[in-house]
Amino acid sequence: MTNGLLIVLMAFLFLFLGYLGVPVAFALIAGVIVTAAFTPVGLASIMGQLFNGIDVEALLAVPFFLMVGELMTAANVTTRMIVLSQAMIGHMRGGLAQVVTLFSMFFAGISGSSAADVAVLSRTLGPEMKREGYGAGFIAALIASASTMANLIPPSIMAIVYGATGNVSIGGLFLGGVVPGVLVGIGLMIYSYFFGPSGVRRRRATLPEFGAALRGAALPLVIPVIIMGGILSGYFTPTEAGVVAVLYILLVVIPLLNRGYFRELPRELAHTGLLYSIPLITIAASSAFGWMLAYLRGPAVVSGWLQAMAGNDPQMIMLMLVVLFVIVGDFIDAIPAIIIFMPIINDLTQSADIKPVHMGVVIITTLAFGLITPPYGLALLMAAKFTGVRFARAMIDSLPIYVVFFAAIAFCIYFPDVVLWLPKHFLPQSVGCFPNPSAPGYICP
Amino acid sequence: MVLCGIALSGFTVTVVCDIVTRALGTPWLWLQEVTMTCFVYGVFAGTAAATRRNDHLYLALIAESMSGGKRMAIETFSRLVVLAVAGCMAYFGFINFLSGFHTFRMPSMTPLASFYAAVPLCGVLVALFTVEQLVNGWQHGFEDQE
Repeated sequence: MTNGLLIVLMAFLFLFLGYLGVPVAFALIAGVIVTAAFTPVGLASIMGQLFNGIDVEALLAVPFFLMVGELMTAANVTTRMIVLSQAMIGHMRGGLAQVVTLFSMFFAGISGSSAADVAVLSRTLGPEMKREGYGAGFIAALIASASTMANLIPPSIMAIVYGATGNVSIGGLFLGGVVPGVLVGIGLMIYSYFFGPSGVRRRRATLPEFGAALRGAALPLVIPVIIMGGILSGYFTPTEAGVVAVLYILLVVIPLLNRGYFRELPRELAHTGLLYSIPLITIAASSAFGWMLAYLRGPAVVSGWLQAMAGNDPQMIMLMLVVLFVIVGDFIDAIPAIIIFMPIINDLTQSADIKPVHMGVVIITTLAFGLITPPYGLALLMAAKFTGVRFARAMIDSLPIYVVFFAAIAFCIYFPDVVLWLPKHFLPQSVGCFPNPSAPGYICP
Repeated sequence: MVLCGIALSGFTVTVVCDIVTRALGTPWLWLQEVTMTCFVYGVFAGTAAATRRNDHLYLALIAESMSGGKRMAIETFSRLVVLAVAGCMAYFGFINFLSGFHTFRMPSMTPLASFYAAVPLCGVLVALFTVEQLVNGWQHGFEDQE
């Protein structure tokens, strides 16, 4: 069999078994094992690849950022941030819809996972929004769309996986993700204001009320400062920043705000232990899949096709990749997509002379969008389930919101200077700048 | 699941110790090895636990919308695929484990086999849990396992 046929066979087996109900990790491994039988590759080395896929120190950050989100949610600390969001913008038209978006921006700075965000918002604000007359489809669509910001605003698990597998600065990706994250947030607020239900109009919070809400949320809001401050000062790696944030929650936030929660802690630790293994075994399996794809020269073939269509124009190449990832993101989860397609991304990044952080931000924004597109829009699936609405209804209500994501992606492609402004100023080396030998500061090519 | 919690607590403690010892100017280099060992074993133990609890990531759960014989056939087939993959993980993972006795981790010089053992162990556990699910499913129906 030719390499092309083997790649088609491997992809077909993965999708066929996956959609039949085999867990993603096992469907990926099954595809690789069957394909390997037609090549000289030994299956023992495939098992070695499974192992190599997760033997990456940067991936240690994943459980810590998951744990931060889980602890904050389970200890019921997040409600204080909801109260603050309500005090800030609850009086606007579509008040609760605005609160969902603002809270998601705050929460995105603490947790790197959309799942935690969807769970919190569906449980807390979802029922209240229903009472105020918001349609269940709109609620699910908005919560799912807002939760995607967790993958853009640092710390982002997608950025960690992208950086760890693509050898790109994770700090740079964190900072680069701020612009699309804020753009999506502002876009959702504008959409809710002009096109969403008006909800119940509340009075504007008084200054003392706002002050009380701010004091209540002050402790959790220190977490983004710890995480980004530690990384930017160069004192912590992203993994260490994650563990320091966990310690801060365990030693400061929970004892001061919800001491009774400590009884639940052992069970929560065991649950988080299980929770982190699920994406990571998928990373291991995707790594074996990506390795086999590279062995069959798949990246070279695909990047050859893309280059034949787009030439060496960086923006055209990024547009082609966006189209590819919008399609891919419709069918498979973001993490396996990043790992499987990383060799192709790297190939094209080098050949078109694109800054790896810029490419990473564009790809991550596109994959975040994939969380609300059918048939495999994980965030929308979860939000629809939690709010008790049919997935098709939630999907129809999310269609107008796609415009916000298209705008954010296009902005990232066409305005690299704006996207890379933060990394360039705070982590210059992450975007290819180097120290000026004759004067203070950096030279950025 | 308890093992996952222990592994998570284990590498949380070692990362903290790593930061503290580095801050004190006397870093313990072997801590990173312990951290990665806890991390990798935690992932593979969690994989087995997630198999038992049906907690993995799924592309779609077509079978959930079915009932009767069709559902039985699809659920059985998907679990047989998992069983076959688990068997490969156990057997070929064991071969990979044996090859790991010739390479060593720095700085402790521990054979990599101690690390590689996680894959075949995971394969055995996943196979056992899958057989358990198959037997339960055939006896009581797969709907009860949701």
